[in-house]
Parts: sequence; C-alpha cells; structure tokens
Amino acid sequence: MTDAALATPEPAAPERLGVISWESGPRKLVTVYLPLACFVIVLLFPFYWMAITTFKPNNELYNYKDFNPLFVHSPTLANVKKLFFDTDYPQWLWTTMLIAIAATALSIFASVLAAYAIQRLRFRGANWVGLAIYLAYLVPPSILFIPLAAMVVKLGLFDSPFALILTYPTFLVPFCTWLLIGYFKSIPYELEECALIDGASRLQILRKITLPLAVPGLISAGIFAFTLSWNEFIYALAFIQSSEKKTLPVAVLTQLVQGDDYQWGALMAGALFGSIPVALFYSFFVDYYVSSLTGAVKE
Amino acid sequence: MNHFNRRDTLALGVGALAATTLGTGASAAIPTANVEAPKLDIEKGASLRVLRPTKFVDPDETIFNANTQSFAKATGVQVKVDYSAWEDLRPQTAVTANTGAGPDVVLGWTDDPHLYSDKLVELTDIAEYLGKKYGGWYPLAERYGKKFGTNNWIAIPFGGSGGPSVYRISWVKEAGFDKFPTNLDDFLKLCRKLKEIGHPAGYTFGHATGDGNAFCHWLVWAHGGYMIDENQKVMINSKQTIEALKYGKALFESFIPGTQSWLDPSNNKALIAGEIAATQNGVSLYYSIKNSSDPKIAAMAPDLDHARMPVGPVGHGTETALAINSMVFKHTKYPNAAKAYLAYMMELEQYDKWLTGTYGYWAQPLKAYEQSDVWKSDPKIAAYKDTMKDSLWYAFKGPINEASAAVVADYVMVDMAASVATGAATPEEAAAEAERRAKRYYKTG
Repeated sequence: MTDAALATPEPAAPERLGVISWESGPRKLVTVYLPLACFVIVLLFPFYWMAITTFKPNNELYNYKDFNPLFVHSPTLANVKKLFFDTDYPQWLWTTMLIAIAATALSIFASVLAAYAIQRLRFRGANWVGLAIYLAYLVPPSILFIPLAAMVVKLGLFDSPFALILTYPTFLVPFCTWLLIGYFKSIPYELEECALIDGASRLQILRKITLPLAVPGLISAGIFAFTLSWNEFIYALAFIQSSEKKTLPVAVLTQLVQGDDYQWGALMAGALFGSIPVALFYSFFVDYYVSSLTGAVKE
Repeated sequence: MNHFNRRDTLALGVGALAATTLGTGASAAIPTANVEAPKLDIEKGASLRVLRPTKFVDPDETIFNANTQSFAKATGVQVKVDYSAWEDLRPQTAVTANTGAGPDVVLGWTDDPHLYSDKLVELTDIAEYLGKKYGGWYPLAERYGKKFGTNNWIAIPFGGSGGPSVYRISWVKEAGFDKFPTNLDDFLKLCRKLKEIGHPAGYTFGHATGDGNAFCHWLVWAHGGYMIDENQKVMINSKQTIEALKYGKALFESFIPGTQSWLDPSNNKALIAGEIAATQNGVSLYYSIKNSSDPKIAAMAPDLDHARMPVGPVGHGTETALAINSMVFKHTKYPNAAKAYLAYMMELEQYDKWLTGTYGYWAQPLKAYEQSDVWKSDPKIAAYKDTMKDSLWYAFKGPINEASAAVVADYVMVDMAASVATGAATPEEAAAEAERRAKRYYKTG
C-alpha cells in the first residue's frame, strides 16, 4: 500500500450495476412500504368491516352473490338509527365513560405512588414487591370474578357502578405500576438529589419534579387503563345486573343479539361508535404515548 | 296496605281473566280445572327483582313486562325485570347462586336449577297447583322442574324452544319429495338430491350452543346411542353410536361445505341468503323472515315450512328442547311473593298472551295450552307445538347435574360427530375419545 493511497481515500464506489441501494425506490418499496401496507391493512380492516357493515342494508349483508361484500352498494342509516333511537346506547356510553374515567384516575393515582416507591425509595425487597404486583396482573379475570363478586356483595356494591370502579384497579394498577416504574427509571435521579439538597420533601419532589417530567408516561398509562376499562366485559357482566347500569360491551349484546338472531348492522354500528372515544384519546395524545414507550427523558 | 293473601290474589286473578276473556275471547278454548290455589301470604312491602334472557322478538319483552305490571297492580308487589344476553345469563346466574345476592327470581336455562338446587326455594306447591289446573305437565317439563329422583319441584319451566327442520318447500319438491322425510334413509336421500340440484342442506356440526348440540344429539339418539345411563355410567362408546357417526358422515358430505365451523347464527344467515334448502332451528328464523322489513327476505316466507326431525331406529322423536326454567333463590326476602309471581305468570290470562305473542317460540310445558290459538294461527309452526311433550333432555338417560352440563358445554357429542364427519377420526376412535372425555366429567374413568 502506498502513502498516496493512504492520504487520499478512494471516492465512494458508484453503485454497481444490478445492485439496489438502501435508499433506492424499489428497496424502500419492498422493505418499508410493502410491510407497512400489510400492517395497515391487517390493523384497519376490522374497522373498515365495522364501518361498511354499519351502513349496509340487511339484504346486502347476507347476499354475497349479487353484492361485493367489500363495498356498500345502497348505504343506509337504518342501523345507526336503530342503535341510537331504539336502544339505550347514549346511556350506555355515558355510564361506560364515567366508570372508565373514574377507574383510570384511581388506578393512576395508586400506580404513581406504588411505582415511585418501588423505583425511588429503594427499600428492602422493592424488586420483589414490584414482581408481586406484576404477578397479580397475570391472574385472569375469569378466575377472579367469583371471589371478587363475594367481596363486592359484602361491601354492598353489587349492581352499582362502584363495583366496577373499585374492581377494575385490580388489573389496572399492576399494569400501570409496571409501566410507570419503567418511565420513572428514565428520569435522571440527579434532578431529585438536587431537590433534596434544596430541602424538598419526597412528596414535593414527586409533585414538582418527577410527575411533570413523567407526563408522557402518565398519559400512556392513562390511555392503556382507559382502554382496558372501556373494553372490560366479565366483571361488568357479573357485577351489574340492572339493564340501565350496564356498560357498553355487555349492553350491546343484551339488546342487539336476540337468541341466535344477530343484528349485525346495529352491532357493528355499536362497535364503531363505541371505539370512537378510544380512538380520539389515542389521536390526541399519540406523541406522548410514543415518547413514553421510547423513553423521552435521557440521562 | 300492600299485603295480599291468597283470596285477594285469586280474586284479582279471576277478575283479570274475565277481562281478558271478554276482551278477546282468545283463551276460551283452553281447558282449566277448578283447583284451589296454594295459600301464599305475600310478605308486607315485598318487592322482587327478576332476571331473564333477552327477548328474541319484541313481543316477548313487551308482553312479559305487561304481565309483570299486571301482577304488580294486582298485588302491590313491585317487580323489576332485567334482561341478559343468552350467553351471559348462565354466568350471571352462577354469580347470583354463589354470592347470595342479586335477583330473587331467575328465569334461567334448562340445567341451571339443577346445578344450584340446594340454594333454591322449593316450588312444589305452585307446580302441583298449576299441573292440576292446566291438565298436567309434559314429561320433559317434569324432568326439568323436579329435583332428580324426587317429586320435589325446584323450578317452574316456562317453555321450551324446539329444533325441527325448517326448509324451502320448492327446493324439496324439486328434489323429488312432496313432504319432508320422516325416516333416516329418506332424509339422507333428500340431502344428497338437494346437493345435486345445487341447493344443499346445512345442519350444524360446529360449536353452536343451540344448533350444534341439538343436531348432534338428535343424530346419536336417533340411532339409539346416548351419553349416560340412569346410574351415570358413560355409555357413549356403543355400536349404536358408531352407526350414528357413519350416518352423520354421509349426511355431512351432502351438506353445504363448512358446517363444521358453524356457530348459532351461521345457519340463519345461510338460509336467509338462499344458500341452503334446509336446516334445524327454533321458530325464530321463520318469524324473522316472515316479519322482515326487507321485502326480498320477507318474500321467502311462503316458501318455508317446518317438519319434525326424522325418526331413527329407536322409533320415537329424538329432538331436544332449550327451556326457560325459572327458580327462586333462598336469599330472597320475599319467597311467597316470588312464588305468587311465578304462578301468576303461568296463569291462563297472562301465559296465553305471552305464548301467542311470541309465536310459540317457548312452547308450553302445561298440556292445556296446546289448545292455544297460537297453534291454529299458522299451520307452518305446528311442528313446534309438541316440543315439551316428546323431546329429550341433554343428559338423557341420566340426571341433569354438573357433569352433564359440563359434557354439553364442552361439546363432547358435537366434537365426536364432527371429527368423524370431517375425516379426522374413525367412528370407533371418535366414540372412544368421547367416552374418555365424558368419564373425566363423571369421574368414572
């Protein structure tokens, strides 16, 4: 090797004939756009199906020979009208919203305290406590609902919204706690040490330093908790019996499935409009949500 | 004062009966005996909560609620009725039974009172009264209402939904049959012919709570097979079962493809879409087509008819019935009010309106109601009239208990028939596997 060769590196080799670079259109198409398109189709198809079924008349729903099932040929609002005016759908939405918001707020409050204690106070056995909380999340609701029902009855909460507001945290708190432990871990401890030196108490640090920095994590936990509460079925089925107090997932089935006669149009309308509040939640806070999952605060 | 005794209640009931009869004359043909009602001193300040399955047609709920209001007006007992989706009723009943909270009265499913018999108020007095007054209970009603091996009533069956065949008249004729077959050989011939002319039949081999269980049990029972005997010995692995499975495979090959994956709504959808010529269903399918707001669907109704499922070598019908079976839980503070409510709802002036309004979907458990006008209103629904008279219960020939309920819930019979039909197992292998699974539940294996 000569000195000249060392001093002047060879210019980047031009693209060889027949080899596609990472930046080339065809490669991007294959490695990025095509997989992305597959994901989008798989994820959005159920929503598309819900939407077109909502606006299809019954004869189109059942007749695949004369009507392409992927399109609406004669759109109708009959299913939407049935849902909103022939059922108690607005009442169910309101009840579900109240229960989901209350259970989420309660769970986030408890989870913040638990996660902060486990992550920052570093008491003996903190890791084991964290693990135990996580294990509680692994117990399926289908096993828990009978013993929980006994407790709900003894507390006099049966057939009351509080039965759900107070039992949903049994699966929300473990999940949110673990999510927040991870987020608190990403907040530099030095910030809290500075506050301690300045004389701040633990609660002041939590309120004035940690929580403002953990807003993306809180929002992320809130979105998850709200979604889980919104969709929950088995506790809502077991602990609520009055028709007017039922939540959306249970009530829709009660009024729109009559024996083996499924009113698909109205059911899909119920599912479509029921998913809108959750979709709005996600769309408003998507930046926080992404940053919480990727860890926004770096040391 | 809202304290009504038997005489008050009876007097009010008679008044209501007179009003109804004068108003419509509809119930005049139903024979009743002059029987004294049991003395039920309704508790002072009583109120009731009732849980029942959701309506299958609108009149089911409106008439039931009207009858309930009529009871409240007559007795002063306030009654709140809650409705639950059919699949959700069982877990709600389980929670009620296990926590001792919730509704006083549950109109549950067939097996449920037998699973919680020690938590229920005995209903023998009102059951015997109703039986004497209305010509007696059908055998299946007694089976569902009485605690096994005793004469003690723990439930009042409100009615049963049968599963005859519903078929397209024109296509069956096109296949060369003037009437729907009544024996197994002709039934197989019909199904094969229907396939040839491009309008196959479709009976459910899938995990459909109602349709799958009804068809596969009919298939095995028609050949003389059965799951359990009177002493709870598992008997499914028999030569009769093997014959049934071979026949089932032949039938399956003539059906529209895919019936092994059908759920309860699947056959409804296929019939409405004009994809199949025959299937097995409650009267709801005919009702929904006949009353459809879509003129194209409603136009199908004149071409539909019903027929009892064909009879096999056993020589008698082997359909089953899904029953609404009402029970009163011991945790109620007002057992007399609850019993009075159930008796009131079964009385002529209330029950006949409900039976007629629901198009006989929940066919009567009391013999006198076979004279109801509903059975004369449309000859096409006559196949449902004797649902509670000559159907079998899922635990046939054994008792209804946790094990029998679990065997049905786990689709042991359905899986056995489907595995042979689809070629996944030989009849011998499938029967042996079903026997093994059933023995685990009966703890005899």
